[in-house]
Amino acid sequence: MIFFFILLVLLVVAQIAEFFIPPLDWMYHAHIYIAPVLVFYGAMALPFPLMLALALFAGVLLDALTVQVIGSKVEISLGWSILLYAVLAGIMHGLRPLFIRGRWEVHCVLTGLCTSAIILAQYLMITFRRGSLFFTREVWWQIGGPGLMAMLMAPVIFWMLNWVARVTRYPYLPERSFE
Amino acid sequence: MSRTSIIALLIFGAILGYFLSFGADTTRKFQARIYQILAPFFTTGSGLQKQITSVRTGLKSLEELEKENASLGVDNRQLRATNSALRDVEHEVNRLRHALNYRERSVFKLIPAEVVTRDASTWWHTVTINRGKEDHIETDMPVVTDEGLVGKTTTVSNTISIVLLVTDENCKVAASVEGTREQGIVLGERVSGGLTPLLDLNFLTKQANLQPGQKAYTSGVGGVFPSGLFIGMVKSFRARELDGQAKLAPAVDLSHLEDVFVVTGRK
Repeated sequence: MIFFFILLVLLVVAQIAEFFIPPLDWMYHAHIYIAPVLVFYGAMALPFPLMLALALFAGVLLDALTVQVIGSKVEISLGWSILLYAVLAGIMHGLRPLFIRGRWEVHCVLTGLCTSAIILAQYLMITFRRGSLFFTREVWWQIGGPGLMAMLMAPVIFWMLNWVARVTRYPYLPERSFE
Repeated sequence: MSRTSIIALLIFGAILGYFLSFGADTTRKFQARIYQILAPFFTTGSGLQKQITSVRTGLKSLEELEKENASLGVDNRQLRATNSALRDVEHEVNRLRHALNYRERSVFKLIPAEVVTRDASTWWHTVTINRGKEDHIETDMPVVTDEGLVGKTTTVSNTISIVLLVTDENCKVAASVEGTREQGIVLGERVSGGLTPLLDLNFLTKQANLQPGQKAYTSGVGGVFPSGLFIGMVKSFRARELDGQAKLAPAVDLSHLEDVFVVTGRK
């Protein structure tokens, strides 16, 4: 449980830190996202109910900090990020047995893909509202760039979180052991 | 799936449904509350970021000085470092004096504010400023600098506010072009690859034939932005099938925003 709360605190820190990390000019102004890496790690390390709680917390935080309210309309309703995080974290959670066996490669790649999937989903949602769907080189980089960065950051962040888990004596046990 | 998981899923679904049912007002209030809770962290983070940037800039200039003046002694280097520090202070004083002058000669009632954070998301162009309800800031107030229009406030909490930048596709501004009777709507681009995105001035007449260098100002139509605020300079014009469209370079360099003013009314 301590490990879960540490993850929540780290998530808040990561979400705030993202505001101060400048976008990458050499990657067509792509942003760096750290919070999804933490959520997807949590999806593999935590049991299903706690994974849902983490997705809920991360989604609320992301929506509250980024949702745009213009006049009397909300561009993407509060709650959509929760759903996105939960679905993608659910997919990652399915690969938990592999993670417990110490195989991280697939998860690192998937973390990058899922990060890009969140940004792609946001793009599709705002396009649905604003109209005119287009995919230019800039769009692809702004969707793929953060995923690529997340993929590169994932091994380091996973290793650090694994160390935190060891320090807090968090047991990576199969679902039934928690109940 | 175990019973605990099913119960967790049901609770999750209920909370998700609750959030999805939020309207615009509730969302704005919720967002303002979260920003208010995190405001101290944003302010501290902003201060830290400025310190780090200043140290980095200082180190860079020291490196350059060392290369150029390798033969100079220790005393000389110390004097140069002191001089550099004083130049930073002078720059700060000049910047604030400039801002103060603008505030005094402006025809609007202005509340000075400092940019705390920039947008962390990919698809929205916003910044947060360190002024809120306590400073009489409200939703939909124009934000400017002495150079021109920056955007408008959207969500306002007690001590912090979100400003939607003029470069965002959702920030629509009624504009007129100097020296012509042309009027149109300015909006940002959804996706921009650089730090200084261009603006689109739409719904001009096909015969407008605007020339590069002409200035676009707010026309005052719509009620949010008063007339006469400089939005940007025409870069190009093209006649489309039904209307004319001009590309504008924003009046304000939004990538290096530090101090802004919130317009609360006319003097």
